[in-house]
Amino acid sequence: MMSTDCVAMILAGGQGSRLGVLTTTVAKPAVPFGGKYRIIDFALSNCVHSGIDTVGVLTQYQPLELNTYIGSGNPWDLNRNSGGVYVLPPYQKAESGEWYKGTANAIYQNMEFIDKFNPKYVLILSGDHIYKMNYSKMISFHEEKGADATIAVIEVPWEEASRFGIMTADENGKIVEFAEKPAEPKSNLASMGVYVFSWPVLKRYLSMDEGNPNSSNDFGKNIIPNMLGNGEALYAYGFEGYWKDVGTVQSLWEANMDIIANPPAFEIDDKDWKIFSRNPVKPPHYMAKGSKVTDSAITEGCEIYGDIRHSILFEGVTVGRGAVVEDSILFPGVVIGDNCVINKAIIGNDTVISNSCTIGDQTIADDPHKNKYCSAGISLIGGGLIISEGHKFGPEAMIKESI
Amino acid sequence: MNNTMGIILAENQEIRLNELTDVRSVAALPFGGRYRLIDFILSNMVNSGIINVGLTTMFNYSSLMDHVGSGTPWDLNRKTYGLFFLPPYIRRSSNNSGITGGSVDLLYGVLTHLRRSPQKHVLIAGGNLVCNMTFDGAMEFHRQNEADVTVIYTNLSENPEQLKRTTVYELDAENRVIGIEHNPRNPKTPYSSMDMYILERTLLIDMIEEAYAKGSHDFIKDVLLTNLSSLKIYAYEHKGFVGRVDNIKSYYENSMLMLDDAIRKEIFSGPNPIYTKVKDQVPTRYGESASVSDSLIADGCRIDGTVENSIIFRGVNVGKGSVVRNSIVMQNTIIDQNCDLESVVIDKECTLRPLKRLIGQPNYPIILPKRTMI
Repeated sequence: MMSTDCVAMILAGGQGSRLGVLTTTVAKPAVPFGGKYRIIDFALSNCVHSGIDTVGVLTQYQPLELNTYIGSGNPWDLNRNSGGVYVLPPYQKAESGEWYKGTANAIYQNMEFIDKFNPKYVLILSGDHIYKMNYSKMISFHEEKGADATIAVIEVPWEEASRFGIMTADENGKIVEFAEKPAEPKSNLASMGVYVFSWPVLKRYLSMDEGNPNSSNDFGKNIIPNMLGNGEALYAYGFEGYWKDVGTVQSLWEANMDIIANPPAFEIDDKDWKIFSRNPVKPPHYMAKGSKVTDSAITEGCEIYGDIRHSILFEGVTVGRGAVVEDSILFPGVVIGDNCVINKAIIGNDTVISNSCTIGDQTIADDPHKNKYCSAGISLIGGGLIISEGHKFGPEAMIKESI
Repeated sequence: MNNTMGIILAENQEIRLNELTDVRSVAALPFGGRYRLIDFILSNMVNSGIINVGLTTMFNYSSLMDHVGSGTPWDLNRKTYGLFFLPPYIRRSSNNSGITGGSVDLLYGVLTHLRRSPQKHVLIAGGNLVCNMTFDGAMEFHRQNEADVTVIYTNLSENPEQLKRTTVYELDAENRVIGIEHNPRNPKTPYSSMDMYILERTLLIDMIEEAYAKGSHDFIKDVLLTNLSSLKIYAYEHKGFVGRVDNIKSYYENSMLMLDDAIRKEIFSGPNPIYTKVKDQVPTRYGESASVSDSLIADGCRIDGTVENSIIFRGVNVGKGSVVRNSIVMQNTIIDQNCDLESVVIDKECTLRPLKRLIGQPNYPIILPKRTMI
């Protein structure tokens, strides 16, 4: 496919407030995932493998980390002479200037950017989903059907269907009904938040939507229902495979654990569909005498003296002697002191847990740090903190400050 | 240091590591789980602010070329200067292919590059040392002494065996070089050359042209040694860890030294990183029966067996029931179930089927050449 056929726009501006302390200083797409990735690596790598080399990343909330991470795009081979990756924050215009009001408004404000490439299609993606998908197949489907818009859908369990945008399609895949989070779903085909639009059609709807002061300028709430209402040709493209929205602490933890399941529910290791990321400059990880590791994923720069069970360790993590880490996710640079017990926790970048601390201590029933964002016994420790020696926290605690 | 250019002599004919260097130049030898030897000198130069780096080589340089590419991992893909790959200089008009092999011949082959570069000084270095250093100290020392040539050395008193395989300097009280011995039987001093030289670019060009005209081949014996009295040659001591890879035994020993906490931290966790080519491998996965101790494990591995006191490179599989001890296993090697390996160096992409047993000795490890299938 020629680069100008399709421009991808990744919506990466959301805060992801349900991830609690993990997103106080970074946007959700920049949250670490799977031992050496950021959530946005999946959408970016999918684009590159699908032959799409012009990608706009729409940022708004705490963009600094994401901007630095994407840089010139070279980790994804997106440092191109023509095309490549562009970070697109909201900007001041001659007449006015405003924040992105919604997902559709974010694209509306960047219509000039897209027009520069004069594409036939625009692919709209979320920067916060974990999946491997060949978008070029979906674009071919869109062309074959002569669609105005194609929405990727995945079958979800019926009992969960009311959490999603649900599509009802006829036997040709033409969408006849769309309901956002319906109480009584008529189908179990959920929108994955992956859309292909024919650019001239989308442009028209974006302008129309912008003229409506009552609109929330959102794809799912406004653009799709409007197009459907006006009888445009909307098709559902069925996707089979692993797909996960990691919007909550529990879903983020589960998606990480899917990687180390036996066999893995989600296999990242695929030499034909590598997930690219900005690789750290670190030596191989060191497993010391007396260390132990089972059912886990560990990456470069870690120094392990303790016992790691069913956990994911990002780059440069140190785990001290006598420490036990179980069912946990340790972000880059975390230091776990000697004789700590870390049970079912997500610990943010560079946090230091001093010796003999316990996270997720089952004997503490009502920890005052217990937080509504934490569920299923998962604890959350923010990044850049220092937890001093001997502290114990019960399950589902969220720690925001050094203690 | 950005008024200094670097020349790396990636091939050294005196160094052979049998099967390991049959397929690659010494500088391209995999080391430390995810590196190649060239990474150390390249990173050291870049970390010193040298941004014009020429890389000369002679034999089997495709793996070296593939590894360094355009120099991106070292930030050497630049519009001005950057990395120059300087393949052997072969003249069309003569039968003298240029592959006679000495350091003078290598440097003669890059005269054009030397003439075209504007930097005042040249740092010449080999590609077989494991160390993490910058050259600011040596450069300052060179200036203060108003030296013609500054050589860098390390005190090798703890390894008299290896000392005999190096160039040894005899020094006066001011650290001026008053004697040079190459591979001495009875070394007079423990001051072992790190095969690194700092000198002015124009002086180097003169020296090389003269030596080549006289039919000389060796920079140490024919240039430095014969001009010992007429040139001001000073020696600068590097005090940190230096791992010299000059045969199988030293390769194996220096690899194992990376398991030492203090040495590993000096080499890899200091302020100056060692850069290498990125492979985008997934994190290493450990199964329920894994048992690993005192080992370095790179990314992309799958470990279900036992690994002790070993270096495991990227993408290696160790199957259930297999035991790997005191060994070095290079990239993408598959060790199936219930193998028993001790003191083995396994080159890239080997396959060991179930129940294979290979026992070497630490001072005489078994070498499995690249792509061996057992």
